[in-house]
Amino acid sequence: MNAHLRANFLLLVVTIVLCCVVYPAILFGIGQTVFHDKAEGSLIYDKQGKPIGSHLIAQPFSGEGYFQPRPSAVSYNAAGSGGSNWGANQYLLRERVARQLGPIVKYAGARKGQPVGPDVEAWFQKDQYDGKPGIVAQWAAAHGTVASNWAKADPLNGGYVLAWMNDHADDMAQWKKDNPDNAAPKPEDMAVTFFSSFSKVHPGEFPSAVESATADGKSEKTIQPVKAGTDIQGIFFDLWRQEHPTADLEPVPADMVMASGSGLDPHITLKNALYQLDRVAARRAADTNRNVNEVRKEIEALLQQKKEAPLGGLVGVDLVNVLEVNLALRDR
Amino acid sequence: MWSLPLLIIVTTILLSFPFGRYLAWIMDGKYNPPGWLRWIEDRLDTGAQNWKQYTVALMLFNTMAFVVGYAVLQLQAFLPLNPDHRGTLSPTTIFNTVTSFMTNTNLQHYSGDQHLSHFSQIGFILWNMFTSAAVGFCVLAAIIRGLRGDSHMGNYYKDMWRVIVYAFIPVSLVMGVLLMAEGQPMTFEGQAQIATVEDGAMGTAPDGKPNPQMIVRGPVAAIMPIKHLGTNGGGFYGANSAHPYENPTAWSNFLTCVNILIFPLSLIVMFGRMLNNMRHAMVIYAVMTIMFFGMAGWAIYWDTLHPNPGLTAHEMQTYEAADATAPGGKRTIDSPMIAGLPVDQELGNLEGKELRFGTSAGATFAAITTAVTCGSVNCMHDSLNPLAGITPMTGMWLNCVYGGKGVGMVNMLVYLIVGVFLAGLMVGRTPEYLGKKVEAREMKLAMLALLIHPIMILGPTGLFAALDWGRGATNNPGSHGFSEILYEFSSASANNGSGFEGLGDTYGYYDNQAPAPFSPHWDIATGLVMLISRYIPIIAPIALAASLAAKKLTPFTAGTMRTDNVTFAFVLLGTVLLVGALLFLPAAVLGPVAEHLGPLPFGG
Repeated sequence: MNAHLRANFLLLVVTIVLCCVVYPAILFGIGQTVFHDKAEGSLIYDKQGKPIGSHLIAQPFSGEGYFQPRPSAVSYNAAGSGGSNWGANQYLLRERVARQLGPIVKYAGARKGQPVGPDVEAWFQKDQYDGKPGIVAQWAAAHGTVASNWAKADPLNGGYVLAWMNDHADDMAQWKKDNPDNAAPKPEDMAVTFFSSFSKVHPGEFPSAVESATADGKSEKTIQPVKAGTDIQGIFFDLWRQEHPTADLEPVPADMVMASGSGLDPHITLKNALYQLDRVAARRAADTNRNVNEVRKEIEALLQQKKEAPLGGLVGVDLVNVLEVNLALRDR
Repeated sequence: MWSLPLLIIVTTILLSFPFGRYLAWIMDGKYNPPGWLRWIEDRLDTGAQNWKQYTVALMLFNTMAFVVGYAVLQLQAFLPLNPDHRGTLSPTTIFNTVTSFMTNTNLQHYSGDQHLSHFSQIGFILWNMFTSAAVGFCVLAAIIRGLRGDSHMGNYYKDMWRVIVYAFIPVSLVMGVLLMAEGQPMTFEGQAQIATVEDGAMGTAPDGKPNPQMIVRGPVAAIMPIKHLGTNGGGFYGANSAHPYENPTAWSNFLTCVNILIFPLSLIVMFGRMLNNMRHAMVIYAVMTIMFFGMAGWAIYWDTLHPNPGLTAHEMQTYEAADATAPGGKRTIDSPMIAGLPVDQELGNLEGKELRFGTSAGATFAAITTAVTCGSVNCMHDSLNPLAGITPMTGMWLNCVYGGKGVGMVNMLVYLIVGVFLAGLMVGRTPEYLGKKVEAREMKLAMLALLIHPIMILGPTGLFAALDWGRGATNNPGSHGFSEILYEFSSASANNGSGFEGLGDTYGYYDNQAPAPFSPHWDIATGLVMLISRYIPIIAPIALAASLAAKKLTPFTAGTMRTDNVTFAFVLLGTVLLVGALLFLPAAVLGPVAEHLGPLPFGG
């Protein structure tokens, strides 16, 4: 037994020395000398030497004049990577995709190029779904989790729900009767009841954040019933689609609406970039007072110059690195 | 589409022959190392061991690994190399993690980028990746020595030394350099603070300042080579090999895939060399490769060549459900017609996939990582199309489509014994394997090793699916939620470590105020499953090999059933598929198949 213990202990010590000290030290030495920038995370610095991104990590962009990366299930948090982990039967996946599609989808065919959003708004304002009035109430009843998530998403939304429920004693009383065990309801618990009540008072409207100027000149966000806007175009696109299944719509490249595994995928497909090109070019042309077509042509040339494909195209399609392209756009 | 999986498998098969010869040369001690290496080796060599001594040595070493690993994680907050000030994990998470890495599973109920210090990554993760991988390797070597009738099983300490020093470290060094060239970080710095190009793109702090993007870095390039070479699979980051720092390019992804496969494939060649029976080894190689093509082809067909069905159009469907109160005992449920969303899914299901690896890379990787019990992922398996999810599950259920290095071959040997026994019964002869009679004792040991696996998967899956422990942790509704539970126990029992990661099994730091509600249950249950399913299926075959070794060699006659021809390949394939796959068919029907049949999406 002593021989066993001695050999065990020796094995422990030598493996720790070799695997945890010698081996990583060799790689650290090579990495820091031969591949120094890569070993430090492939960071990109501005002229002052401040890091402004990494070649390998997606950075969020929302401005119209920039290309946008793939959606991220972790909000581009590079200290907590991950995917949505939603399967095909998870309605939240379809809902997230539909919400993103609503404001960007365009018609194909006879009405090619026209956005669908205004039609969704007009349909929403009529407030009829499945032959019954109350789109918002029906939406909340069918998709309780989505409604709850709306109430949780922002403290403003939650506050509005609470204030509404306190102002509408009948609905509050009914909710308490239905949920006798919940003494201290949170906004998300009451979301379905709230939307049902809201739908009756404000048919054809949806509570949305509206920015307005306050007395002291600052801007302030409040929740108000609205008849139009990206919220309505997005949230109700899926319902609209159910009533217009044959409308001829132009498909959006999948990587524009489907989230990556890490939430940090730095690339989009070239096809996706070209889909976004009109928006980016229009915005850049407007900002610089230049001809849209010229700007468009320049940016397209940039995309073509920056495109890359996995293993030289042997195993995949053309891609562009969003941060690299956007930096090139900014520095033009 | 098909070029990536073909490139990977052909490259690896070609490499496996020289590798396998080299490994046999090492394990048979035919090398002549420089003096100082020889000096350490001689200190480690406690002499020839029989199967019991070998097993005791193995268990002793693993016990020590458990104690050391526990200490490192428990003391994480007080140890050096902790630039991001990681605290102490919850006790159940530490138990689960130590067990997981000691058993070569690398199931992760924590998130590497959020919960571990650089010291833990190097001192705990990296060390376990080398040693736990070597354990399976040594077991196979010992079993081969038994099968070929050596008078002893070798020496455990010397075997461990050989594997780590002459196989793992040199190959890891080469791979580490290649992977660093692709962009894997190798630093001991903490998070990089990034000022985003658009001000406030990451939101704004309460004081109105734009939030920076914080990027976690670390000694990634040291861990990645052995993570794959040792079929470990535990990620430095939560997103594992989908994370751009763990897997920066298509080339790094290709290297990673070859790394995962190379040792399991080479070990078949080593098996043939050491037994001096290459034809028999090639039969096994062929059977495993056929199963692998099936797995990879299935995944690519259903995931890359089909869109995500959650977004596409579906016809109206009518389902019948049993209902005692309804007339005729059945009621019908209508699922309305669903209009498709305008999404161009020509590249297949992109949810949870990265673009830079290539079009079929996610499905291919899913097949590879579960065929050889690696458990690293480059796409989120939870978001695979329903039927494609069967591929990783099947890999783990069979656990011998190549299998983990060492243990995969060992599992296959168990199937071999069962196959020989079944064939023997059919033709009415005493079954023999490699000239030794297979009798009651061998069959009992084989069945013990074989049945632990389904029991440890299906039992706890049933328990958790019936209780809130499981239902309260799932991230998806209905049958997909069941698949998450089933996958988790399959992964634990196969010592794989991948997951349908939506499952809420992360407690986090011990003082976390809002952990996943049933995470301690998951920590303890999967921890126990990993332990049982690791050690019984390696100890029983060692005993089996020792028992065969002690028998007289029966002469080879015209009536002997050959184990090195095509007929036997079919016997073996049939045995694996009938015994291995049929056990799990009902569970597969309740999970992925039911999800595929719809309705999609389901509720919500």
